[in-house]
Amino acid sequence: MATLQTLTEVFRDVFEDDSIELRPQTTANDVEGWDSLSHTIMISAVELKFGVKFSTREVMRLKNVGELVQLIDSKRAG
Amino acid sequence: MSFTSPAFFLFITAVLLVYAFFSRRRRWIVLLVASLAFYASLQAPYLLVALAAVTLVSYLAGRWMGRAAPEQRRPYLVAGSLLNLAILLIFRYLGELIQLFSGARPAAGAAPADMPVLISVGVSFYAFQGISYLADIYLETIEPEPHLGHFALFMAFFPKILQGPIERGGDLLPQLTGDLTFAESSASAGLRRFGWGLFKKLVVADRLALLVNPVFGSVHSYTGLSLILAVYLYAFELYFDFSGYTDMALGLAGLFNIRLVENFNQPYLARSIAEFWRRWHMSFSHWILDYIFKPLQITWRRWGSWGVTAALLVAFLASGLWHGISWGFVTWGLLYGIYMAVEWVYAPWRKKLYRRLHLEKSWLVKVWQVFLTFNLVCFAWIFFRANSFSDGLYMAGSLFSGVHVFSCARLVAKYWVYLPVFKGVVDFQHFSSAAGQVCTNTLQNFPVFQGQFASENVGVLLASLLLLAVASWAGRRLPLTRWPAGIRWAGYFTFSMWVLFGLGILENPGQIFSQFLYFKF
Repeated sequence: MATLQTLTEVFRDVFEDDSIELRPQTTANDVEGWDSLSHTIMISAVELKFGVKFSTREVMRLKNVGELVQLIDSKRAG
Repeated sequence: MSFTSPAFFLFITAVLLVYAFFSRRRRWIVLLVASLAFYASLQAPYLLVALAAVTLVSYLAGRWMGRAAPEQRRPYLVAGSLLNLAILLIFRYLGELIQLFSGARPAAGAAPADMPVLISVGVSFYAFQGISYLADIYLETIEPEPHLGHFALFMAFFPKILQGPIERGGDLLPQLTGDLTFAESSASAGLRRFGWGLFKKLVVADRLALLVNPVFGSVHSYTGLSLILAVYLYAFELYFDFSGYTDMALGLAGLFNIRLVENFNQPYLARSIAEFWRRWHMSFSHWILDYIFKPLQITWRRWGSWGVTAALLVAFLASGLWHGISWGFVTWGLLYGIYMAVEWVYAPWRKKLYRRLHLEKSWLVKVWQVFLTFNLVCFAWIFFRANSFSDGLYMAGSLFSGVHVFSCARLVAKYWVYLPVFKGVVDFQHFSSAAGQVCTNTLQNFPVFQGQFASENVGVLLASLLLLAVASWAGRRLPLTRWPAGIRWAGYFTFSMWVLFGLGILENPGQIFSQFLYFKF
């Protein structure tokens, strides 16, 4: 749950929208401005915030916020 | 055998009949055999070799990748994709390379005239589909297909083999592996869509071609407004040609209750270049986006804006080269890379500007954005269509020659500003004739005004465009199937007569065999 909250802060920062509320099933269609161009900016911001690094394949496979949370948690545990 | 040829109409009827008599589990055999026969009817046996090679490479690489552990799958993806690419290059570009080579050294070896004209129709489309299939297995969005027959049909399915849409494994494979059914609603909608595509291609696009081709054929005979008009008309010719083909492909698939992906969504109404690419040749732009742009962008994310710009340039350069190896396509691709990069860098400023001016929801801004996007797209089409790079440069440089923007502006300033104060009505007449001269000077060569294009053709074109617009508007309000049967059938009859007479079949039967523009890619 803590990861999701921190992630929400990152999203609000990146997409300049304080009304963003992330849930595990949130996808790019639900957040205005989250397109393929801003996607990587968000990923870079997430990497910086959590101090983790993703591979290209890991990022490409993400389908929703829940999977991103799982990926972050697995990186930090490992 | 083109979709527009009478032989094809007999072929599709026969296939549908045989399909009906086979059991649901064996119908894939009918479709596969029909697809191979359809492809073989081009009478280029090496094309069947190309298809077999792409099919086998993709099938085997997919199977082996599926057996490997997720972290050991990369070599299969790389090898399979490179092999597909090599097959594409060999079959797609060999003819052009030989021509280039022999053109440069006419003395050495065979003369270009002796070379068989290599047609490679379809290869670019199914080779890209093979790569997409492997990438999706690598990303674990789909499972490899175990059945070679089903997989071969996935690659060869005849409505989409020549010009796409480029299908994803996740969309099309599940429809082919299960029971193949017949559904009356899907078939009748398919027939309607096929007819609609036929109309777009034969009545609208081919008629526009009569206006566009003379200008592009000898660009140096034209200047100014003639060139501008030709570019605009080409934009519509290409749209009606390619979206017409796509309607026919989707309609044909619908006869067998199979859904192919959409390729077009009113692209010229896009409000940005990025949106244009989400609406134009969508199966191709998604391919470029997912398999070239995104991986590069993610890999280069540490470079910030420079990484995005570089990824955009590489992705659109690749998109240009897919259409052919020529400076025209390179320029076309790079123009889009630059458009997208500028649009992306400028986006935050634009957002702030509109917010400050309270224009975010203004319809004027929307109209302006559509206008600007359409014109940028048209400018890029010049290099896409021009017969040579130098033709393209000449056109781009001569769009306003003879129009004399400055003399126009001076004219407008002189008369519009001072007219009410100092001048009388007589001067306004002088203004309109002067302005008229500035415009018509560069238009007088245009085919319509030279009598090369029958004036009733202009009428047919305008009426057809009106019909397309009204039908698209009405179709959204009330689906055709909910109209009273009498009106519907009267509509079909009128429409068929329109296609028949609009075609000019009666006067000019040879004309109906014109090729689709995307056959050459």
